[in-house]
Amino acid sequence: MLISYLKIAWRNLLKQKVFALVNLVGMGAALCAVLLLSLTAYKEWSFDRFHEKRNHIYQIVNEKVQNGNTSTMVTNSVAEPLAAAVKAEIPGVKHTSYITGFNLPVRVGANVYYLHTQFANRDFFNMFSFPLVKGIGDEALRELNQVVITEATAAKLFSKATDAVGKSIEINVRGQWQPYIVGGIAENIPQNSSIRFDLVARVESDPYYNEVKGKWDVSTNPLLVELEPGVSQASFEKQLNALKPRYYAKAIQEGMTDFTFKTISLNDFRLDEHSYFFGGVNKYYPWLMVILSALIISIACINFINLSVARSLGRSAEIGLRKSLGAFNGQVFLQFWMESFLLCVLALVLGSILAVFILPFYNRQFSQHIQWEMLQDVKVIAGIIIIFFLITLLAGGFPAWKISRQHILTMLKGKMNINKGNYVRNSLIVVQFVVAVILFSCTAIIWQQLNYIRNKPLGYEVNTIASIPLDNATPAVLDNMKQRLSQFPDVKSVSAGMNNFGIGSDGNSGNWIIGFSFHGQMLTTKFQRVDYNYAGTMGMQMVEGRDFSKEFGTDSSAILINETMAKQLRVKEPLGTMIDLGPQGNLKVVGVIRDYHFESLRRKIDPLIIGLAKPNDLGYLFVNVRTSNPTATLDKIARLWKEVNPLAENSPTYLNDNMRRMYEDEHRFSNMLLSGAGLAIIITCMGLFAVTVLATAQRKKEISIRKVLGASVSSIVTLLTRDFLVLVLIAIVIAAPLSWYFMQKWLQHFEFHVSVPWWIFIVVGAIAILIAVVTISLQSIKAALSNPVKSLNRE
Amino acid sequence: MIQLQNITKYYPVGLGRNFILKDIDLTINEGEFVSIMGPSGSGKSTLLHIMGLLEEPSEGQYLFEGERVDKMNEKKRTQLHRGSIGFVFQAYHLIDELTVYENIETPLLYKNVSASERKSRVADVLDRFNIVAKKDLFPNQLSGGQQQLVGIARAIVAEPRVILADEPTGNLHSDQAKSIMELFKELNEKDKITIVQVTHSDVNATYGNRIIQLRDGHIRS
Repeated sequence: MLISYLKIAWRNLLKQKVFALVNLVGMGAALCAVLLLSLTAYKEWSFDRFHEKRNHIYQIVNEKVQNGNTSTMVTNSVAEPLAAAVKAEIPGVKHTSYITGFNLPVRVGANVYYLHTQFANRDFFNMFSFPLVKGIGDEALRELNQVVITEATAAKLFSKATDAVGKSIEINVRGQWQPYIVGGIAENIPQNSSIRFDLVARVESDPYYNEVKGKWDVSTNPLLVELEPGVSQASFEKQLNALKPRYYAKAIQEGMTDFTFKTISLNDFRLDEHSYFFGGVNKYYPWLMVILSALIISIACINFINLSVARSLGRSAEIGLRKSLGAFNGQVFLQFWMESFLLCVLALVLGSILAVFILPFYNRQFSQHIQWEMLQDVKVIAGIIIIFFLITLLAGGFPAWKISRQHILTMLKGKMNINKGNYVRNSLIVVQFVVAVILFSCTAIIWQQLNYIRNKPLGYEVNTIASIPLDNATPAVLDNMKQRLSQFPDVKSVSAGMNNFGIGSDGNSGNWIIGFSFHGQMLTTKFQRVDYNYAGTMGMQMVEGRDFSKEFGTDSSAILINETMAKQLRVKEPLGTMIDLGPQGNLKVVGVIRDYHFESLRRKIDPLIIGLAKPNDLGYLFVNVRTSNPTATLDKIARLWKEVNPLAENSPTYLNDNMRRMYEDEHRFSNMLLSGAGLAIIITCMGLFAVTVLATAQRKKEISIRKVLGASVSSIVTLLTRDFLVLVLIAIVIAAPLSWYFMQKWLQHFEFHVSVPWWIFIVVGAIAILIAVVTISLQSIKAALSNPVKSLNRE
Repeated sequence: MIQLQNITKYYPVGLGRNFILKDIDLTINEGEFVSIMGPSGSGKSTLLHIMGLLEEPSEGQYLFEGERVDKMNEKKRTQLHRGSIGFVFQAYHLIDELTVYENIETPLLYKNVSASERKSRVADVLDRFNIVAKKDLFPNQLSGGQQQLVGIARAIVAEPRVILADEPTGNLHSDQAKSIMELFKELNEKDKITIVQVTHSDVNATYGNRIIQLRDGHIRS
């Protein structure tokens, strides 16, 4: 019986090629999109799920209240003695480990490699499921000078990877080469791990660690804890905060910002923006991808439903006959569902092939790392099968149900009437256009916002300043570089700072928050240290006062502040004001800088204090250039940097590129949405085209009679087009407020954003109508031009 | 075999009723070959549809082999369609996407007949109707007469007790019609299948052993 159904289904497909093609291509493209999008979402959600103890591992973070409860700020690092205190005083803490990652130069013989290095404690391998292929867990890190490297790293560093254990290597830590011995080899890190490393070394071997050892007033490293099974996150947090008064009271009194301890579960490391391992993907984006794929697939399903119903009109006699031969409703249902199923399977095959071809492009375009190995996961396969089954049930089941319930006799007479007044079909078309218009206008608004961000003056130069990540160049290298740059004709001026602008080639960003008391009020501020001639080089405007300058020998006790800080101080004359920053010293304001966006436009401008840096504090060199060929100049600077500092890993970039990188997430998302919207519109139009083909076919006789009675071509085109245009108009009216609402929500992520312009809906609506008219006209003009005698004779 | 008692069929029209059939009393015995005749709109087809359980009477009782079937539920009715009643239509109603062989096989599929038995029964019928050579053709490759032949083959392959034929020769020219009618006669006489046909043609009606004249919803003779 099933074979017979499949046979007839196949022959039907061959017979009605237009519909088969529309369904196949539409459904195939939609399934391809769904496959890619949902694998992307699944990948984000599957992060870190391979750790056996993932439900018991947490990162401790501090939540700081800023400037009189107006906003909170979460920081990752905690004080060094906290680990010991937590382990000793809170019952149920099994292991603890600090963790800090750097890209460090590693030397084996004469070869230097850059390795992603995590400094951690000995317990690290007891906590996380990173199995060792050589060596045993914490034994591999027993000595301070032992390191664990991954298999891939071992293969890179040594000719024979298996012999790596016991070999010596040198790591350049904070500008010093230090000897280490390989104590173990770990399996390569799974793709879906947020904790990534080429090499793990003992945190105690970092010289800086010994500087902060035992100090409660500096927070330097993120801390991870593993709790005994049965100890809840809430009770741990409570006991953690109970420790605070005892150990932090003094530091807080001396100016440390008060805070609350919070914990983040390993399960949330990837998607929680406050986690040290945050992957940069907003936690709502995976959901948005799922929603986007649901929207696309539902548009394809609607095409499927409308076409199946319309198509089955021509088969009413067959259905009636089958019933008279003794087919149950269920059997007729099964038959028609099988046909849809067959079509869907073909579409799935098509979609999968499409996906395989598109994947490399998709990964590149949207910076994803989807691999087909993910399909080896039984859960993924089961999920795909179940969802696919549901889709076929939705797309094929509804028409099949409608058809199977028709009365025998009406069908034998060919008078089947499934769509009374085409009510169902029309509502489904409206739904399609609502989705298409929403996607379209959301994309337009996101694009506008990104444009706004790109063009908004930030308060400093972005096009002419190159930033060079210093990695761990020594002060001597830095001085040399500055010296060489000053001889460059293209270079206007050079300065440096501890923080970058935007996101540079090293991918790092960070900030330093300090609190202090001023005239009896507690204030919090962002703090940065910079080099001489900073504001001048960056092209910032001074409201009053001056930049840091070597001409004054006293600038080590001077600070610059921004306007927001000046307002917070509430003094008549900020210049010359003394501010006691505790460990940073008692410093004098020498200049007020006009507010500039030192962070992303998602945030409002915070108060900022800028002090003069010691050479060791500097992280980035800023070069203001005067050139007609920026690319060539950047190349020259890069070559010079490589020459001065052969260990340099990251290359110079212009600040405007850094800015782009900072909003890459939004960019990627808007591109995804744009592609989704495009696909949705194409599929919708394909469906609309097929539906008009059917509708005009049904009205052929009417059209002929009208023509015989003297109707003009244009009046007939209008007649055929009008019905569908009304649907598109209804869709626009429904979609406009919805997309306005969604976009209003999204824009609130940005402290600085465009307002949703009313005309955008008119433009999007006009485009939608235009596309619909063109699609419908393709068919209706043909129908209107056809010779009436032909279709009348056929009756 | 077929007993109709006071069968009435009407449709509501405005406030009144439009009667198609009125108080039909009719008994058809096993082995009969009955022709129903009458002008257009006299209710012939409706009567046949009621006999075939494709339509329900508005009033009256219908006994099929002694069992009340006029208010039968769908499942039981379907069982009768599978086993006892075969249809032959004026427009043949062959499934365009199936070959001759597959068209004839379809009722057996619904009857859950085993594959080997299906094969032999379809082969028997093809053989008997002399259409073995055409078994792999599609309906649109056949002439009207051949299509109706396949239609009848499909009706008898499930070995029904009664065949209901609605103007089986209406779309055929006279030569073809003649051979179809002879085939009906043979089925009636050799296979003892009860046959009820609706026809306009006096010639065709003579093949049967009883003629029922309908006019305006009443039986005239």
